[in-house]
Amino acid sequence: MTLDAEAARLTADKRALPSATIRRPHRVVASGLVWVLPLLVFIGVGFNLPLLMTAAWSLVDQVSGGFTLANYVDFATSKIYLTVVLRTGRVALTVSLICALVGYPLAYWMTGLSRRGQMFALGIIVTSFWVSILVRTYAWIVVLGNAGIVNRTLQAVGLTDKPIPFLYNEVGVTIGMVNVLLPFMLLPLYAAMLQIDPRLRPMAYTLGASSGQFFRRIFFPLTLPALAATFVLVFILSLGFYITPAILGGGKVPLIANMLDILINQFPRWNLAAAISIVLLVLTLALYAVYQLLRRKT
Amino acid sequence: MRRFSIYLLGSVLTVAAGSAAAEPAKTLRILTAGGEWTDAVTKCVDAPFTEKYGIKVELDTPAGYAKLAGLAQSGNVNVALMDLETTELERANAAGLLDPINWDAVKPFDMFPDAKKPYGFASTYFSTIMAWRPDAKEPKNWQEFFDTVNFPGKRALPDYPGYVLAFAALADGVEPDKLFPLDLDRAFKTLERVKGDVIWWTAGGQAAQLLQDNEAQYAIGWSGRLVTKDDIKISFNGGMLDTSWWGAPKGADPAMQEAAWLYLHEYSDPQKQACVANYISYTGPSPELDPLLPQDKLSQFPNYKANRDVQFVTDGKWWYDNAADVEKRWQEFKLAQ
Repeated sequence: MTLDAEAARLTADKRALPSATIRRPHRVVASGLVWVLPLLVFIGVGFNLPLLMTAAWSLVDQVSGGFTLANYVDFATSKIYLTVVLRTGRVALTVSLICALVGYPLAYWMTGLSRRGQMFALGIIVTSFWVSILVRTYAWIVVLGNAGIVNRTLQAVGLTDKPIPFLYNEVGVTIGMVNVLLPFMLLPLYAAMLQIDPRLRPMAYTLGASSGQFFRRIFFPLTLPALAATFVLVFILSLGFYITPAILGGGKVPLIANMLDILINQFPRWNLAAAISIVLLVLTLALYAVYQLLRRKT
Repeated sequence: MRRFSIYLLGSVLTVAAGSAAAEPAKTLRILTAGGEWTDAVTKCVDAPFTEKYGIKVELDTPAGYAKLAGLAQSGNVNVALMDLETTELERANAAGLLDPINWDAVKPFDMFPDAKKPYGFASTYFSTIMAWRPDAKEPKNWQEFFDTVNFPGKRALPDYPGYVLAFAALADGVEPDKLFPLDLDRAFKTLERVKGDVIWWTAGGQAAQLLQDNEAQYAIGWSGRLVTKDDIKISFNGGMLDTSWWGAPKGADPAMQEAAWLYLHEYSDPQKQACVANYISYTGPSPELDPLLPQDKLSQFPNYKANRDVQFVTDGKWWYDNAADVEKRWQEFKLAQ
C-alpha cells in the first residue's frame, strides 16, 4: 500500500460521501493492519517470544529436561525466596510512600510558580533523567559515605562523633531508589494538577472556604486518583530494581532482581530463575491492571 | 577466473602441506571476568596478537561456569575462549562443556607442568589475601581478622563462597592442615556471627576502594588489586593460592578455535606475561618469568617463594564435589540476611 494509493482511496471515499450509507470496506481495516504488521511481528518475535521461552523454561526440570512444576513448588515452599520477595515488597512500599510524601508537595508547589519558574523546575527534573542511573547511584556513595559530605558535615557541626552508616543497608538502598523514581512521581502528578480547573479556587473562596479547606475538600480529592495511579506506577518500577540495591546495599539487601542475578550468573539455576521471573511478571501485570483502573478515574 | 585459480592453487597447496586445520577466523571472541587483569592482557597480549595475525579480539563479560552452562543451554556458543576458576574448569569439564585444548596447534613456550591440562591452559596465578587500613589494628591470623570485638570495624568480603568460606572456617579454629574437606557448619557459624559488620563486594576493585573510602577497615581481596596500594596494609599469611584458566567452550566455531590456539601460543610467551605483571602483580604459567619481573616488586607476587610458603592451595575437587551443597547453604545465608 503506497501513500499514493492511500490518498486515492481517501479521495474516493470523499467522492462516495454523498451516497446514503457508506459501508466501510474491509480493505480499510486491512490497510491499517498492513502498516502496523511489521511492528507487530517485531514486538512478537523480539519481545514476546523470549518471554514465552522463559515461561517454557520455568516448566522444565533442569536435570532431566522433562515437564515439571517443581520450580514453582521450590519457589513457593522455600523460605529464603519468600523472604526476598517480602523484602522487595517492603522496600517498594517505603520508596513509593516517600516519593508520594515528597513528590506531592513539590508538584503542588510547582503549579503555583510563574511560567518561567515552572519551566525552570521542569528543566531541573528532566536533567536528572539525562544523567545515567549508574552515575547517580555512585554519587550517593560520595554524599552518604563515612567520609562523605553528609557525615563530615554532621561531625563538623558536632551532631555526631561517629559517622552514621547510611550506605550498605536498607536505608541507602531506599534513598537511592527514591532519587531515581521521584521524577516518575512528580511529572504525572504535576500534569494532573495542571488539568484541574483554576477557577475552582476563586469559586471556593467566594463561597467562604479557607485555603486549607479548599485543598482538603476540593483540590486533594480531585488529584487523588492521579496520586494513587502514580503510587502504583512507582511501586511497579521499584519491584525490578537491580543496580541501586547492588551498589548501595553492599550485598546485604538483595531484592528480587539481585536474587535472579545470583540464580542466573552465580549458580546456573536458570529454570528456577525463569519461574521466579514469571511470578514477578504476573504480579507486575496485576498491579498494572490496578494502575490502569486508577488512571481511568482521573 | 584468475583469482579463482589462485584460490584453487592455494587450497591445493594447503592440503598438500597436510594441514587439515581450518583457516583461523578474523574475529576471536573471549569471555573474561573484566577488571585490571583483563585490561593488562588487552594491552600486552591482545594488541600484539591482532597486529601479528590480523585477528580482532572481542572481549565480553561475565565469564564463569554459569555463563558457560547458559551458552551451552541456549545452543549459541559464540566464544572460543573463556576465563574460568579452577573449580569451574573441573565442573565444566565434568559436565562435558569444554573441548580439549589442541596443544599441538598451540605449540606453547615453556610452561609449568601443572599449568597444562588436556582441557585447560593456566592463565594466571593469583592469591586471595587479607588487607586492612593502616589506622586499624593489625590482624595476625584469620581468628583475629574475624574478631569484630577486639578488632572493631567493617569487613569487606568477597560475595563469592569459594573466596570466603575457607577463611571463615579457619577463623572458627579449624586446623589449616585439616581445612579440606571444608566444615561448612563452622564456616557459616563465623559468617553468621560477623554478618552485621560485613559489606559484600562483587567486583575485584571494590576491596581496595572500600578500604580507601574508610567504608571498611578490613578486607579480603585478590592480591593484584591490593599489593600495589601504598595506603593499604596486606599479608599473604594464611592466604589462598589459586589458578585461573583458559578453557575452550564446546560447540564454538572451529575457525574461531583455530584463532584461539594462536592466541594461547602468544599468551604463553614469557615476555608478554612479564608485560602483564608490570600492570598487575599476577604471574603467568611460564617458568622463565622470574628474571623478567620487576625485581623490587617480587614480594608482591602470589607465586614468590616466601608468599607461597605461608599460603594454602584451594581444593578444587572438594568444591566441585560439593558445589550443590555450597550453593544451597550460601543462598540461604545470603538471601535470608
